[in-house]
Amino acid sequence: MITYPRWLERGIDKEPVLRLLGIGNAGVNIADRIAVRASLPLETIALNSDQQSLNASVASKKVALGPLTTHGLGAGGDPEMGLEAARESLSELRLAVDGADVIFLCSGLGGGTGSSTAPQLAELARANGSLVVAIVTTPFQFEGRRRTQQAQDALRIISQHADAIVHFENDRMAEITAARTEAEQTFAACDDILFQSVASLTRLITCSGPMPVALPDLLGVLSSGGGSFLFGNGESDGGNRAHEALEIALRSPLLDRGRLLHESKKVLVHISGPASLTFAEVATVMQEISRSTSPLALLHLGVSAAKDDSAPLIVTLIGHCGTAGKESKAQPLPTSEPIRKPAETLFVEQPTEEIPAASRQEPAPTKQTTPKVKQEDLPLEPIARGRFEKIEPTIVEGEDLDVPTFLRRKIKK
Amino acid sequence: MAREKIHVGLEIGTTKVCAVVAECRRDGEMRILGVGESPSRGVRKGEIIDFKNATQCVHDALADAEDRSDHQIKDVWLAISGGHINSLNNRSSLTLPEESTISAKEIESVEFKAKEAGIPKENVIIHSVIQRYYVDGQKGVIDPHGMMGTKLEADFHIIHGVTNRIQNAIRCVREFDIDVEDIVVNSVASAQVVLDCQQKEAGVVLIDIGGGVTDYIVYKDGAVCHSGVIALGGDHITNDLCIGLRIPIARAEKLKIEEGSAITENIPPGDKITLKNDTGFSGKDIERQMLNMIIQARLQELFIILRKRIHDVVPEHFLGAGILLTGGCSLMRGIREVAESVFSGTPVYLAHAQSVSGPMSAFENPQLSTCIGAAKYAQAVHAEMPEETIFDRLKGFLSGRA
Repeated sequence: MITYPRWLERGIDKEPVLRLLGIGNAGVNIADRIAVRASLPLETIALNSDQQSLNASVASKKVALGPLTTHGLGAGGDPEMGLEAARESLSELRLAVDGADVIFLCSGLGGGTGSSTAPQLAELARANGSLVVAIVTTPFQFEGRRRTQQAQDALRIISQHADAIVHFENDRMAEITAARTEAEQTFAACDDILFQSVASLTRLITCSGPMPVALPDLLGVLSSGGGSFLFGNGESDGGNRAHEALEIALRSPLLDRGRLLHESKKVLVHISGPASLTFAEVATVMQEISRSTSPLALLHLGVSAAKDDSAPLIVTLIGHCGTAGKESKAQPLPTSEPIRKPAETLFVEQPTEEIPAASRQEPAPTKQTTPKVKQEDLPLEPIARGRFEKIEPTIVEGEDLDVPTFLRRKIKK
Repeated sequence: MAREKIHVGLEIGTTKVCAVVAECRRDGEMRILGVGESPSRGVRKGEIIDFKNATQCVHDALADAEDRSDHQIKDVWLAISGGHINSLNNRSSLTLPEESTISAKEIESVEFKAKEAGIPKENVIIHSVIQRYYVDGQKGVIDPHGMMGTKLEADFHIIHGVTNRIQNAIRCVREFDIDVEDIVVNSVASAQVVLDCQQKEAGVVLIDIGGGVTDYIVYKDGAVCHSGVIALGGDHITNDLCIGLRIPIARAEKLKIEEGSAITENIPPGDKITLKNDTGFSGKDIERQMLNMIIQARLQELFIILRKRIHDVVPEHFLGAGILLTGGCSLMRGIREVAESVFSGTPVYLAHAQSVSGPMSAFENPQLSTCIGAAKYAQAVHAEMPEETIFDRLKGFLSGRA
């Protein structure tokens, strides 16, 4: 782990410092919700150019960005202005990432502040030797092409610096709740998914246990080779807890209801449970997971057990699906570098270009095969036989005649 | 005055169980006294899948028939069907001692030999129908009785089915201490009342499309030359509609009967049928084009399979009397047109029971063809006198009593 000096320097007994940064209005909102939802061992910092949003935030530390540029009124959706503000507050930004082992960057891309500041923070944090996990949302389609374009630009830069990106498209928000759910609930559900991912990543990093997750494994899975990040989390404390927790995890929208898991080349499974967690339960979960993953996928397993018995059994699935395969980390520093690199971080600049060995082996094959892994609708899906489901089929010349003729003939509707 | 006898034909169908009580006179007249019906439960594709429910339905139908005919049913003739029923043609030969005449004993033994055809172990022969005899190679002998010859050969059409499945149907009736006098295959039963001698002589196909199965029988030169069952029927159309239009099965059935047609031409574009909403069903507009297309596809396929099977035995141009459709599904609008388009050049007719008297509603209903046929078959078998010439093939059926 040469590229992560902080991890090397860290004493064995010292807890890692995890820091949650909320950038921009949306980012502060998400960070607030995460901070309120659970007592994770996180330091929360809110960074925004809008003073109102900062005032309302519950974050322990608040940083106003570019008070002279924006006068505390926000960037107004203009990334140029956001960039200006970020430049003004560069020293605050540097301070915000300083000394953290893991940085979670929360931001809603597509606006002014988040889209411009988040990429810079990612770069700064990475240069500082921290593990960077970006948690970003991209705007709804109906917000216009301009915003989408801004979000995509920002995401591209972030993906060059961040170790992992949890990317949630707002457009998929409709999928996770029923059509008639109130708007407030829908947003809450969306935030919940982001919260779950932060919470479980935190747990993964901090938990010890009979089988802790090795950092290279985590990075290997997370390394953002331009694809999408698969994430599923489920917890249960019922009688059939192992099975139930996995079911919930597989239903996660970020897994596309479990379908994307098939395409993932590396899957990290973390099972955390109470002291009473049995090996049989671990085996059950793993067996079921191996059924829904590709036979070629590399599975990483982590198990941790809490001291008390009341903790629920939590199954976390993290995978990486290189479907996009468009952005490569080979050229990590773009020509349009937003900020000058601080001189004191130069000694770690080189590592920023290097991907840790563990993750490096992996993306290459992924990228080669990605265009082909797209799964088609297999003809193996249960064929409709309707009321003749349970009785002896009528088979003439190898055709099951109980299946409607129009389906077999593929007559268009 | 000829002695009168009452026969009861019973069919345990996929859609309904029906019993026909018919009075048969020795002169061949048959009069329907009453028809009992009960909607069928526990039967799929002509076979019993839920014994208890099916038994109840048989009971209801028989009780209904007793009420209507004012006759206490003691024994029935049971028409059976199902995809397990198969047929084959078999020839047997017998060498006779010099200078001897052929007697009933020789005829019996030649039939016995024919029955030694290779049928699966779990199957039983239901009918063995004589097609033709050959005496010393002389073709077309209808009755060799009393003829002289050294070699007697016979072609038999043998219909067989799985023993246990047939037994299940019989047990269903015997539950109420009613005896099953004999069984008869659907297609053979239907042929008794739907076809006449001329048609059988000229060559004819009778297709009985019921709820769960389609029975067919082919006659040529007055003899059965092919028969069979395909486990496809009106139920499949309903099921197709249920899947294709995404409506409940009961709605699909109703829609099929009330609006269904197998003709897809000349439908005004955008013609829709509105299904009213109901408990658990929120109403729907159905495109007529789609509805008819699903029905047509299914029927077309059925006829294509039939054509293939029939063509192997009798080329279409030998079917002088064409193709007759009967059974409940033959009521489907446009079925004749679909059949004609598949069997191009062969006339297709809709048919129902003939040469019986009684309530018109009974014998003009193609759904009852098999049931009436079973009673008629009973009469034919019972009329054991050799001078009985109601049917040329009587002799065959006589010996066909398994």
